[in-house]
Amino acid sequence: MVNVTLKVNGETRSATVPPETTLLRLLRDQFNLTGAKLGCDVGDCGACTVIVDGKPVNSCLMLAGQADGREVLTIEGLANADHLHPLQKLFEHFGSLQCGFCGPGVIMSAKALLDENPNPSAQEIRDALGGNLCRCTGYAKMIEAIKGASCILRGEEIPAVKSAFVTE
Amino acid sequence: MPDKPRVIEKPDVLEKPDILKPPAPAPLVTFPVEVVVPEGRQQTPAVGQRATRADARLHGLGQTKYIDDMYFPNMLFAKIKRAGIASARIKSIDTKEAEAMPGVIAVITGRDIPCNSFGPSLKDQPVLASERVFHAGDGVAAVAAVSEQIAAEAIEKIKVEYEPLTPVLDPLESLKLETPGVHAPSANIYGHKLIKKGDVEKAFAESYRVFEGTFRTQMVEHVPLEPYACIAQWDANGRVTVYSTLGRITLGRADVARTLGIPMSRIRIIATVVGGNFGGKNEIRAEPVMALLSKKTGRPVKCVYTRSEEFTASTTRHPLVMDYKTGVSKQGKILGRKIRLVLDGGAYCSWSETTLGKACILSAGPYNIDNLYAEAFVVYTNKTMTGAMRGFGAPQVCFAYESHMDDIAHALGLDPLEFRLMNAFEEGSISPTGQKLHSVVVKESLLRAAKRFGWNGLGDGNGTGVKA
Amino acid sequence: MKRRGRGMACMWYPIGFTVAANPSAAVVKVNEDGTATLLTGTVETGQGSLTILAQIVAQELGIATDDVHVVSADTDATPMDTGAIASRTTYVTGNAARIAAEKAKETLFEVAAPLMAVKPSQLEAADHKIFVKGFPQRNMHIGDVANHARVVSGQPPIGSGYFNPETLALDPETGQGKPFGTYVYATQIAEVDVDDETGEVEVVRIVASHDCGTAINPMLVEGQVEGGVSMGVGFALEEEILFDANGRQLNPNLTNYIMPTSLDMPEVEVDIVDNYDPTGPFGAKGVGEPTLVPTAAAICNAIYDAVGVRITALPATSEKVFKALQAKREQQPKQIGAAPNGGAGSSASVH
Repeated sequence: MVNVTLKVNGETRSATVPPETTLLRLLRDQFNLTGAKLGCDVGDCGACTVIVDGKPVNSCLMLAGQADGREVLTIEGLANADHLHPLQKLFEHFGSLQCGFCGPGVIMSAKALLDENPNPSAQEIRDALGGNLCRCTGYAKMIEAIKGASCILRGEEIPAVKSAFVTE
Repeated sequence: MPDKPRVIEKPDVLEKPDILKPPAPAPLVTFPVEVVVPEGRQQTPAVGQRATRADARLHGLGQTKYIDDMYFPNMLFAKIKRAGIASARIKSIDTKEAEAMPGVIAVITGRDIPCNSFGPSLKDQPVLASERVFHAGDGVAAVAAVSEQIAAEAIEKIKVEYEPLTPVLDPLESLKLETPGVHAPSANIYGHKLIKKGDVEKAFAESYRVFEGTFRTQMVEHVPLEPYACIAQWDANGRVTVYSTLGRITLGRADVARTLGIPMSRIRIIATVVGGNFGGKNEIRAEPVMALLSKKTGRPVKCVYTRSEEFTASTTRHPLVMDYKTGVSKQGKILGRKIRLVLDGGAYCSWSETTLGKACILSAGPYNIDNLYAEAFVVYTNKTMTGAMRGFGAPQVCFAYESHMDDIAHALGLDPLEFRLMNAFEEGSISPTGQKLHSVVVKESLLRAAKRFGWNGLGDGNGTGVKA
Repeated sequence: MKRRGRGMACMWYPIGFTVAANPSAAVVKVNEDGTATLLTGTVETGQGSLTILAQIVAQELGIATDDVHVVSADTDATPMDTGAIASRTTYVTGNAARIAAEKAKETLFEVAAPLMAVKPSQLEAADHKIFVKGFPQRNMHIGDVANHARVVSGQPPIGSGYFNPETLALDPETGQGKPFGTYVYATQIAEVDVDDETGEVEVVRIVASHDCGTAINPMLVEGQVEGGVSMGVGFALEEEILFDANGRQLNPNLTNYIMPTSLDMPEVEVDIVDNYDPTGPFGAKGVGEPTLVPTAAAICNAIYDAVGVRITALPATSEKVFKALQAKREQQPKQIGAAPNGGAGSSASVH
């Protein structure tokens, strides 16, 4: 058994788990943060993406022990009691998610991108999402929403795209 | 990383009983108080609005609870042992070592299923294979244990003795009468459909030219991001509640009632939010198994497929071999079309009858053809079950008929758009099955797409040059 | 060298089950404040069906989408539904939901009519009001009517309905009959770049013109088309389950089963064809499955336009396209001029 202490969404959390426990299982089973999903458990689909020390990571490929002492941001840490994160707001308004299963992973990949590159091009967004598989949406409305969120975060107007957010 | 269970050196699960307790609740979850309702949802009239979905906000917050996110007190985890062999007779199943493992609470096999067959049409699918294995993903036993790891390890300890049989893998081989029946004594051809109109041979004789083409499509999988999952639990009145990713709960309830031999009023199926279906979650999979394990253990039991099981142990899209023959007039009017479809129907029928029917009906394409002969067969093979997958045969036949149409257009020197417009359905056209069609807009869709795209006629098959 | 080509494909696709009865039932309850609850046995599989059903019920009752709460997928609490399959939910379950809402509305009209000194048949519902046809100033808020229905009239406004498409069994020998209630139609045109040295195909752009009858929610229709095209691109170019000689899958994982990522997707332009089907709820039909049907053919026709090779077996991987290009080059000196004609013996086709 290993003792793991880390900061999750700004709070210090601890657990004692078998050494082969992944960060994904730690978050889901021990901390009840079920936003990160198990889609393949081997790092192919990206549904488990969380941000560790600022970098997007497939949490199924990281051992809980490796996350000891680190800062982890999960989907549950994006919004607060008052506001949705612009990514979450626009994903909702643009209809970017359908079944929603890949959603937390995609949003975390997008967050990591915007933290590093506040004005990404469509191609840069596609690159950032390259490790997140989605079967429902074809990614199109996700890219629109991420572009729009980058505008909000820069304090700019969202370009006029067809969406429920912008009344026609 | 290989998809195999992790080995536990020491049975920590028993030395540290804390692990058996449900995980600690998360700290105060702050639900955003931002309850602004998006405008699209507030407008009347409602039809035509770009209304956002009610579940969209929860999805974006990661608050949607899919089955794998659900936890019940005392819940057990189940894993299913897969045959790993495409065709075999099961000689014996020895579960003693698995049953004796610390943390394993129950083990069942096909023999424990009261009525071990189901299927949306032909009831040829077992819940768990008990005498014969028909594809490598067949389940042969199931284990319920206190953790997923232990369950995964336990199924490795179940010993199954097989008498291997020669698998049939090629659908065209399976079509031949001399090939041994996969489900002998039943024939390999388990479905047949024929659509006949007019006199196709006469039409060919009168045609300016006759074209032939053979097209094939491959087996693909739905790949829903959420693997199949279900949880079963009983109450003291002998009612079982099954949470499932099933897309057809009415049918699911009927199948659970039939396979377990219990009245429908004792079964409640709840389909939670599903992480993608596309046809792969349209019949029961492990629901009866979980119900039985739950009954045997007195505890809720959850089963989540691994990604590998999603491929090997759930349904896939029918591969098709499609032969097309079309006779045309000099102007490019289709005079007759003859089609033969062979569907690789996998190990079990599943949704093959529906796929067969749709593929056959749609196979001629959206075109006015007075003389038509379309015949379709579905055959058993010892490959993964083929079932419902988005399109039910339409994507396959469309690939064939539209490729064929372009081949003909090019050969006649006609613009593919003009050739299609010359032959396409209109309002009131008669379909291959003699149905008068209404609300027909295939020509409108051709013209709109062409205009939007900037279609400019017949190409020369050598591309438009170097990309900038 | 990259060569650009374009190809088109059109299709037709039915709504509902083939001949067999596939009913859906629904219940609509109007609350005392004029909002409503819909009970449906259908399952939300991600396509947004519950939102569509809410919009249909809202339209019938003259309220907003957000006023309708949908309870679904519980065999105890919701009425039967044949399932989220065969693109039938908008059409079949939608019709059932509309009929149920209409019945609940009838009760509201019965209650409101004497209060407004008219006959029930003279009433209409829109904009959260129940009003006299042709005299919109004579109205009552739907919430007031619903509350009156409960506390004064003693007639809770609940409606239940069901729908099953009208079909006719197919003759076993000729296949003649009426297998489906309605069909949808579509065309997709693909623009591809084919590298004539490696055989790699890149899909640049797809214009998808789809009929769905009335588009209850254009945003969700776009989502279905964009998602369907991604499945179509995968079917055309990448996806394949491979078996060994013993019938075991070789690639049951997402490392070796290739499906489209954000990097594989073309620009998708969605066009919704204006149409109205009188047999569907407010003219709607369906769109879920048709969206991926023509994609592979459009892409393969575009490959032919680009480099003159006909791929007859999917997926059109770069290996297959490369081999076809090689075969075509070998044929070239023996053929004079014209592109190969469409035939099974065409040397440019590769299995």
